[in-house]
Amino acid sequence: MGQLVVKNLSKVYGDAGSPGSVAALRDVTFEVPNNHFCAILGHSGCGKTTLLNIAAGFEPPTAGSVAVDNVPIRAPGWQNTMIFQDYALFPWMTASQNIAFGLEMKRLPSHKRMDITRHYIELVGLDGFEDKFPHQLSGGMRQRVAIARALAVQPHLLLMDEPFAALDAQNRSFMQDELVRIWQREPKTVVLVTHSIDEAIKLSDCIAVMTRRPGRVKEFINVGLPRPRDEDDNSYLRLKRRLRDLIHDEVG
Amino acid sequence: MQSENVAPVSGSDSMPAMAPQADEVRTRSRIIRLFAFLPNLTMLAIVILAWQFASSIWLPSIDPHMAVLMPAPSTIAVTAAGMIASGELLFHLLASLKREASAFLIAATAIPLGIAMGWWRLVYNQVNPIMEILRPIPPLAWIPLSILWFGIGDEQNEFIIFLGMFFPILVNTIVGVKNIDPNLVRAARSLGAPEHKVLARIVLKGALPQIITGVRIGLGVGWMALVAAELVGANSGLGFLINDARSMLRTDTITVGMLAIGVVGFLIDSAIRALGRQLLPWSLALSK
Repeated sequence: MGQLVVKNLSKVYGDAGSPGSVAALRDVTFEVPNNHFCAILGHSGCGKTTLLNIAAGFEPPTAGSVAVDNVPIRAPGWQNTMIFQDYALFPWMTASQNIAFGLEMKRLPSHKRMDITRHYIELVGLDGFEDKFPHQLSGGMRQRVAIARALAVQPHLLLMDEPFAALDAQNRSFMQDELVRIWQREPKTVVLVTHSIDEAIKLSDCIAVMTRRPGRVKEFINVGLPRPRDEDDNSYLRLKRRLRDLIHDEVG
Repeated sequence: MQSENVAPVSGSDSMPAMAPQADEVRTRSRIIRLFAFLPNLTMLAIVILAWQFASSIWLPSIDPHMAVLMPAPSTIAVTAAGMIASGELLFHLLASLKREASAFLIAATAIPLGIAMGWWRLVYNQVNPIMEILRPIPPLAWIPLSILWFGIGDEQNEFIIFLGMFFPILVNTIVGVKNIDPNLVRAARSLGAPEHKVLARIVLKGALPQIITGVRIGLGVGWMALVAAELVGANSGLGFLINDARSMLRTDTITVGMLAIGVVGFLIDSAIRALGRQLLPWSLALSK
């Protein structure tokens, strides 16, 4: 459950060919096997968020397709849920009500909702904070709620849009480790968008490096390093240098 | 001195009486806060004293008739006590409150309309031109036409109040819906929420603080329009009371009526604010 196939995907904003139109993506093709963690790495404005929005069903593609287990994505839904950079927690719901929202939308009976919510509160480490409102929680805690809320609906594909960009460096590194821990406990097909090389190496099985706009996949790299990833390891550093060169070409 | 009073009483009778003691401390700190607030009323006290002096000593010394135009606070207090005791003030107050309440029940239709206008572009584009023309017309400008339509009485009064309430509630509801973080709507859809659930659970909820602000403003504007409507077309209510007293040169009754209008308007506003804080503890805008 959860093989992602992106095929010849293109996105043009405005009428194609007209002077105001912007080509965000051009002919993007790649695959992410079931339960693999894939990072989309690129500069801001390379169309990586557009790619994510199409995969989440928020925007239609201009050409090509995104499919999970051979079912093309046409609309937003729990099967392909998204975690936002600004968390997008519902401010009028407590942490546990936020987590239970998707379960309620799936019309699960209330005892089941409670069990699942409880499970994810424990999994992401929110014990004791379940009755707090989002504005009473720190940034890291809010992102935990967002992760739990997304995992609770058992998506086939989990999309993350620079989920840790709003956190300070220390919290970010800690939350990255937490995400790996959670994902190893409950594997999912994940597509994470980032502009941080370290974040991409630390978290992913595979990395799609994007070109400048219009975004194409410049190189698709299988990381193949053992977890937990050691930042001082030679092969880590070699990969980091390679990614930096790939990305650097795109600036000039 | 004060901090000493806040601390719980320590000593022999501590353990078994924990809960009542906590209550006692809370009451005590409330009283202390009240006393801390009192210095803010210095200015008010000076104004009242000056007024008392002007009305009972200074003005009569110039011209005894002028004293009638500006009743002294002491006279007003006596008149107010009499009107409260006789039930006259309560009678008119209830008449006004009843009109305000019935008008609000109708004006609350601005909430669903505002949500529809804020959410569906088509509804907004069609309805907004009508509202933009009607909105700048002051409720009072409707009085002549409304008297011809409804005659003099409750319906005419309520119509004027309704007009005063409707537009602030409508405008604030539209703004509330339009200002909802689009990512919240996306997040809800991404968690599998169908369109009607997005509307009920996200849009309505998210707009609620702004809707409550609209209701507060609407009730305030309605209260002002109410008094004006009663001046012209009623035989009960606070507006009627002060206008009726004018014909008999009862300036003290007029002043009591005016103060009642002010105090009750303030209480309505405070009640809505307290209700908003109680119902929406998550709203940072309302907690201010």
